[in-house]
Amino acid sequence: MIEFLGDVAVWFTEHWDGDNGYLMRLWNTIRLSALATLTAAMIAIPTGALLGHYRRFGVSAVAVVNIGRALPSFGIIALALPITIRIASHVPDGVPIFGSGLGFFPAFVALFALALPPIFTNTFTGVREVDPGTVEAARGMGLTEGKILRSVEIPLASPVIIAGLRISAVQVVATSPLAALVAYGGLGRFIVDGFSIQDNVQIFAGALLVALLAILTEMSFGWLERRLVPGPLQLSAQDSPTRKLRRRSREISLPIPP
Amino acid sequence: MRRLFRNRILGATVVALALVAAACGSGEDSDTEGPTIVVGSTNFGEQEILGEIFAQALENAGYSVETKFQLGTREVVNPALKSGEIDLIAEYTGTLLTFEGGTSSTDSDQTHDDLVTVLEGQGLTALEYAPAQDKNGFVVTAATASEYGLSNVSDLAGQNGNLVLGGPPECPNREFCLIGLGSVYGLDFASFKPLDVGGPLTVAALDGGEIDVGLLFTSDGVIAAKGYVLLEDDKLLQPAENIVPVIRTSVLDEYDSDLSDLLNDVVAEITTAELSELNKRFGLDAEDADALAKEWLADKGF
Repeated sequence: MIEFLGDVAVWFTEHWDGDNGYLMRLWNTIRLSALATLTAAMIAIPTGALLGHYRRFGVSAVAVVNIGRALPSFGIIALALPITIRIASHVPDGVPIFGSGLGFFPAFVALFALALPPIFTNTFTGVREVDPGTVEAARGMGLTEGKILRSVEIPLASPVIIAGLRISAVQVVATSPLAALVAYGGLGRFIVDGFSIQDNVQIFAGALLVALLAILTEMSFGWLERRLVPGPLQLSAQDSPTRKLRRRSREISLPIPP
Repeated sequence: MRRLFRNRILGATVVALALVAAACGSGEDSDTEGPTIVVGSTNFGEQEILGEIFAQALENAGYSVETKFQLGTREVVNPALKSGEIDLIAEYTGTLLTFEGGTSSTDSDQTHDDLVTVLEGQGLTALEYAPAQDKNGFVVTAATASEYGLSNVSDLAGQNGNLVLGGPPECPNREFCLIGLGSVYGLDFASFKPLDVGGPLTVAALDGGEIDVGLLFTSDGVIAAKGYVLLEDDKLLQPAENIVPVIRTSVLDEYDSDLSDLLNDVVAEITTAELSELNKRFGLDAEDADALAKEWLADKGF
């Protein structure tokens, strides 16, 4: 076991540079995951917020969007591949994102479908669950519907929306190795290629990199939440027992626990 | 208990068949009279086409033939051949030799000789081999071939450091792939792109220009369909994989030499390019194997 971990450590010192090195593949994975999550967010947040505001069609929309979660990503990638190859063969050379229809494009379709449901569901639910009294008060102050949505509902729902983004992003990163099956040069390559040559060190190193990236993603959304969400609304502020204890100890001026 | 019972039925059937066969054999003297020859195939299109070619050639010559196609992988079909469930099948010299515990070589004659020796002890006979081979081959698009003047693998040396190779992920670690291309041919590629084992990813990458040279199977129908140029393995990197009819020796002994002569004549006409064309029409144009075999045999005058 110690020997194996030693081999893994040596692997990390030898395979970092070049097109097939892990730095490039890490970047490729980040690029693919970020684009899939961002595109999903750009579509899911506005529609989810609008439907939540008007409290219409939400349940059916959630059901439709959840298809993305029910279909296995592997299946979507496999289904998307022949279609993207066909599209790519009709796209003139020089249009960059299509390429030959391999790799990025089919993987993007699958990860986008995976990223959509949590963001949409959380946005819709978050906006719908805002206290109707608060919304009524805003309306009474003469705010337009658009202004209510932007200045009242979305900020109040923001912890839930960001939680949706976090769930999506972590899921997307954790699923991104599948892209290697359609020839994408991400971290999944180490796992798929390692499997075909029975190289356990390479498989382990690849899986470790994916896991680290998923954890980093989770942490960076925690940071984002602290930066973007108004203090009292922060989920962590509400949930963390340590914080509660700290606050209470401050109030009654007891020594602060570490 | 049930198994025992089944064995008994099997035994009884074998005895009955043997009696019938003996009766037929003694009754008639014509050279195509004898036990029905069962032609088998494994589970992919090329095998079914070759099986049809053998079966129809025999049928046309007056032999009694039965076909059992798409039986499964070699792990299933090989025991079926040895047990007599099937009598004749199209095999590949190198792979079958390796399967039987031998070592294949890049020399077709040598591999075939070794195979004949190995099969003798198993009650099987490997007839003459075909010029056609189904093995790893390096292909380029017609445009790439004319741009750089490529027809042999060794021609790639003129573009050292310039071209991208695509193939199965294990290629960089394989003697028959990137390692051999370096050590035997002295080739050096700009980069290697891991794709699949002679499948749709490699084809799409060749078409999309993501790779310049791709690894496919030499008789793959897609080579004919896309007009790819299969580079000649002029320094013999790949082990020989000639197509060869393998027949049960006991069946062969029931007939005179006309049977083996006929199969040898048929096999001598099968080339890699023709097989690729047949595979293309079967796999991509969805034509029937029996119609393809019929047309091919008529073309060749069988």
